[in-house]
Amino acid sequence: MAMAMARSALVKKYLRVNVGVGVGVDSSPFNAIRRRFFSEEVRTSFKSEVTDRVISVVKNFQKVDPSKVTPNANFQNDLGLDSLDSVEIVMALEEEFGFEIPDKEADKINSINLAVEFIASHPQAK
Amino acid sequence: MGASSSPKLSGMQKQVLSLYRGFLRAARSKSAEDRHKIESIVSGEFRRNSKQVDRKNFLYIEYLLRRGQKQLDQLKSPDTVGLSSLNVSVSETIDPKP
Repeated sequence: MAMAMARSALVKKYLRVNVGVGVGVDSSPFNAIRRRFFSEEVRTSFKSEVTDRVISVVKNFQKVDPSKVTPNANFQNDLGLDSLDSVEIVMALEEEFGFEIPDKEADKINSINLAVEFIASHPQAK
Repeated sequence: MGASSSPKLSGMQKQVLSLYRGFLRAARSKSAEDRHKIESIVSGEFRRNSKQVDRKNFLYIEYLLRRGQKQLDQLKSPDTVGLSSLNVSVSETIDPKP
């Protein structure tokens, strides 16, 4: 019992030290602001990276005229693709980003914007 | 295949696209060469039917869906490397009985 208490006191002390350090860093308003900006920056840059990769996948699709591919392009209206082509593009995106897109979501993805939005918000996208 | 910005897919169209997806997924598990062959056969078959089959011929489309699902199940087996049997059935269905 005494042993257990001593151990738990030790653990608490250890924990407190760690937490103390953490709070010390976080409580500075400057750091809090910097951290927030940093995480937003990471997310924005991931999204723009996703956009670039989605665009290059679509450009590489044999039936697509690369000059028509813009971040706002709709697969059917702007790129002249049909629903079978859209399936092929979404499958190519799955391979590019290393995760499987379920049918329900895949059926909705009919533009570059929607593809980017879905992939950038997906935790498994690489 | 509608041209509106967000075409509403019918249940049957969704089934067809899902089957197509299934074939492309199954092809991924084969060797690069087999995969390429399978993909070109499968995409040719789907495109041909999408043009030739009347979109209101529900009975025939349902038959094709069932047949496709069976072929997909066979393709998923690791022993299956190709779809040569599909080629045979392609010639059979060129003149489908009503």
